[in-house]
Amino acid sequence: MGRILLICRLAVRDLRRRPGEAALLLLTLTSATAMLTLGLVLTGVVGRPFENTQEATSGPDIMASVAPIDGQAADVARLEALADEPGVTAHSGPFPYSQSEVSAHGVAAVAWAQGRDTGPAAVDQPALTDGGWVRDGGAVIEASFAEALAVGVGDTITLDGRTFDVVGVAVTANTPPYPKSCFAPCYFEGEEKLNTLPPPVRGKDAPPTAAFLAGPSGLVWLTDSDARSLVTTPDHLAYVMNFKLANPADAQAFTNAHQPHAHTEPFVQNWAEVLSGHTWIVEKKQETMQAGSILLGLLALASVAVLVGGRMADQFRRVGLLKAVGGTPRMVAAVLLAEHLVLALAAAAAGLAIGRASAPLFTDPGSGLIGSAGTPPFSLATVGLVTGAALAIAALSTFGPALRAARTSTLSALLDSARPPHRTAWLNTLSARLPVPLLLGLRVASRRPRRTLLGVLAVTVTTCGIVTALAAYANRYLAEKAAGDDPRLAISQALTLVTVVLIVQACVNAICITRTTILDTRRSAALARAMGATPRQISAGFAMAQALPALIGVLAGVAGGIGLAEALDDDPVTVPPLWQLLAVIMGTMVVITALTAVPVRISARRSVGEILHGDSR
Amino acid sequence: MSGGTSSKEPPHGFQLRVVQEVLLALLAKEAAHGYQLRALLQRALGPLAEVLNAGHVYVTLNRLDKAGLVTSQRVGQADRPDRKVYELTAAGRERVTEWLGDTSWPKPAPAEFHLKLVAAAEAGLGDPERLVDTQRHAVLAELAAVQRAALAEPDGSAAGLLLEGVVLRLQADLHWLETCARYWTVRKGSA
Amino acid sequence: MTIVDPLPGEDQVLRAHELRKEYGTGTGLVRAVDGVDLAVTAGETLAVMGASGSGKSTLLHLLGGLERPSGGEVWLAGRRVDTMTEKELALLRRKAIGFVFQAFHLMDELTAVENIELPALLAGDSPRAARRGAGELLERVGLSDRAGHLPTELSGGQRQRVAIARALINQPLVVFADEPTGNLDSAATTEVLRLLDSLHTAGQTLVIVTHDSRIAATADRLISMRDGGFVEETRLRHGSGRMVGELAGLEG
Repeated sequence: MGRILLICRLAVRDLRRRPGEAALLLLTLTSATAMLTLGLVLTGVVGRPFENTQEATSGPDIMASVAPIDGQAADVARLEALADEPGVTAHSGPFPYSQSEVSAHGVAAVAWAQGRDTGPAAVDQPALTDGGWVRDGGAVIEASFAEALAVGVGDTITLDGRTFDVVGVAVTANTPPYPKSCFAPCYFEGEEKLNTLPPPVRGKDAPPTAAFLAGPSGLVWLTDSDARSLVTTPDHLAYVMNFKLANPADAQAFTNAHQPHAHTEPFVQNWAEVLSGHTWIVEKKQETMQAGSILLGLLALASVAVLVGGRMADQFRRVGLLKAVGGTPRMVAAVLLAEHLVLALAAAAAGLAIGRASAPLFTDPGSGLIGSAGTPPFSLATVGLVTGAALAIAALSTFGPALRAARTSTLSALLDSARPPHRTAWLNTLSARLPVPLLLGLRVASRRPRRTLLGVLAVTVTTCGIVTALAAYANRYLAEKAAGDDPRLAISQALTLVTVVLIVQACVNAICITRTTILDTRRSAALARAMGATPRQISAGFAMAQALPALIGVLAGVAGGIGLAEALDDDPVTVPPLWQLLAVIMGTMVVITALTAVPVRISARRSVGEILHGDSR
Repeated sequence: MSGGTSSKEPPHGFQLRVVQEVLLALLAKEAAHGYQLRALLQRALGPLAEVLNAGHVYVTLNRLDKAGLVTSQRVGQADRPDRKVYELTAAGRERVTEWLGDTSWPKPAPAEFHLKLVAAAEAGLGDPERLVDTQRHAVLAELAAVQRAALAEPDGSAAGLLLEGVVLRLQADLHWLETCARYWTVRKGSA
Repeated sequence: MTIVDPLPGEDQVLRAHELRKEYGTGTGLVRAVDGVDLAVTAGETLAVMGASGSGKSTLLHLLGGLERPSGGEVWLAGRRVDTMTEKELALLRRKAIGFVFQAFHLMDELTAVENIELPALLAGDSPRAARRGAGELLERVGLSDRAGHLPTELSGGQRQRVAIARALINQPLVVFADEPTGNLDSAATTEVLRLLDSLHTAGQTLVIVTHDSRIAATADRLISMRDGGFVEETRLRHGSGRMVGELAGLEG
């Protein structure tokens, strides 16, 4: 028991002795744990509000729509026949709709214009959040669409050139929010069956097939007569009906049973698909956070490992001191482990707190739903996972050095105070042929291969994250730029956060490596100066020692980032434009070189004699 | 500037105090000519043999002969002057045994210098530290000379061993002188 | 950088004037080197002795340009050293100075020959020329069979000999040695002793700081230091075989 107390005392004392480094480690670990917490906490954000919306609007379990196609008017009878299906307890519609080009405040988009009765419908009566229900010449806009277009009650919009007043804003559970509002003949991504059907024919002089436009669309309600007035002939109208089932759980079975095999058949959706339309943004955010937390975790691992490795040399020299307290190299290892586990626990607590506190910033379910998620769920599992991750990082990075310490006998620790540098024969021969900065740089890097590898890892991980983010940007905004304020911007929020934290963390890591390297090579650098290397050659050498591994890391990271984007995204990956990739590579090299050169220059101010003389004492 | 040259330089070089005993011992195995004995001595003394008096060996052999410790016989040579062969007598053998068993050792004699320092300090005649410095340099000059000769000797030579003995004795003296310097520095500091 | 020829009339390779080095201020002021004048001629071996704290190592660092003096001047081959920039000093170290340290200061991850060629590589020599020069010097110090050994595989004396070879690779005007045998046992000291003696015979200018009297005894000139200043100076190269004979116990 006394031994454990001693270890704790020594651990605390050691931490107090080096507050700067402890703070650095804490920062590193906390960034990873906070991001992980956010990633875990973002589940179930949309569930509650969706339920509320369903209740408030008498949300349907099944939506079916049918559109005119191939020169034939919409088959309404097929649609109405669904009301007689077993399990259907209520229905509303058929409501007519068409697609129009909408414009508001100069922003143009595409809208599904649906015609409604002025009285309430049995199923799916949109709940107003502002203003009143439809009237002639008055339109009600779905809430997420209204937010994207930045219109509210009192504004005017034009639908296919006709002006309407905005008399209300409402939410519905009938269709996913902007920009994914979808009725026949819109086909959700991933439904291969429907993709095999021939695409609809468009054009003004086309046979009675409405000019359906694919792409980002929102929902607008009009009166029945206004909706019909938007098309030239009734044959161009499509119809939608909403159904309630006796058992909402049967909705998926219902959808499966009524999959359309031709364009003329009704396109059937269930409430679960609408829900996923709301959740997909939050899920994307969550995925981003989780991916980001893994990357940050790796970075934290690298940083801690580097710092611990640098500390070990110092710790070994103090073995003699510890011996006086009754310690051995084994004890040194135990103290080291204890310190970092303590820091990991502190980081886990801090990360959980930060994650929990900042979660509301990311858990907005969108204006398309009523209410908010409330306090995010904070399960024991989350706490356990985050704490476990933090402890794992600390243990993994401390493991190697601690094991080495435990294996070293006390005697040899006293005799050979520092871990001897690694020797790479072929590298020494090769570097002799190169200019002096490269010579010095390669040799410095090869002295501590583990540290160099950690540096490569850190740059790779960071570049990976940045390139993935860039690929995500490129994907969403090149291909499908939705007009107005795209809610998908929310994802970019998460992406930006992750990218920024990654970059900061990577800089921290670079500083860790530089600092440790300088301490480790102080004597050799002084020797090199004593033998005639100029200060510029020395700092160039050190810069090379980190820049060359960084170059490898950044190239690997670009490749890895594209791969990671591929893995994370359902859409086929878009490679970010070449100039962006080049900017990342150049930027990384510049930053790494700067982060290295400055501390080296500062340490080079001490006179050679001081360093060497002080060492030999 | 310090550094010594010998003040008295005998006209015929140096002499070896124990040359009698050494010659007797060298004859213990078998009889030998004078020149053979001289060669043995030269090998043993290396470069120092050069400063030995050339005739020292022959003069000593004569003395030994007269004292009855060796006997000599003339050997006729055809084309050279006659040579003598020397042989050890019983008395001589006894003398050798005595000499080999004698463990007396040259005395270190720091007393004189020690008293010099004490007197200088006591009477205010000079700074003991400075006296030590000067003496140290004088001894170092001697050490330099001996070491030069020692370095010129091949490894494993008997003469090299002799010279190393001198070097080590001088080093011991220097060690003591440094100790003196420290002592008198402390004394001065506390005075 | 061109090195100006020594001043005509006197081939003084190294000169110091009123050299001073102080640490601390006020009551904590320590005068490590206190107004020292010095001149070393080409081919001379100068030994500096003194107790610890006498300032001899500091003096050596000042003369070799490893530290800047608080006052005074240092001239090496006609160029003023104490006012040079770090860059100029680096160039000087490549061409004119070799340094040998008490702790050897070899790179542990380089073999003997790689350690020796390093200053040449830093000076911009081709790898082949550097390697050739290093090989020659290894032979010079008697360690050709140890070329591929790491410092940890060498004895103390061997390490210091490698360090000396390293100091010689750029054919310096002066070699500075700071307690070269301080970390060596008696046998290793003899190795280094022989080497330094042979360097001296070959005409290399040496400035050696030492507390070992045998090393000091190889010098042409010996200076003792105390409290930052010179107290005694002696020429050691006089002395005869007669003196040696007397010392050995031959009587005059």
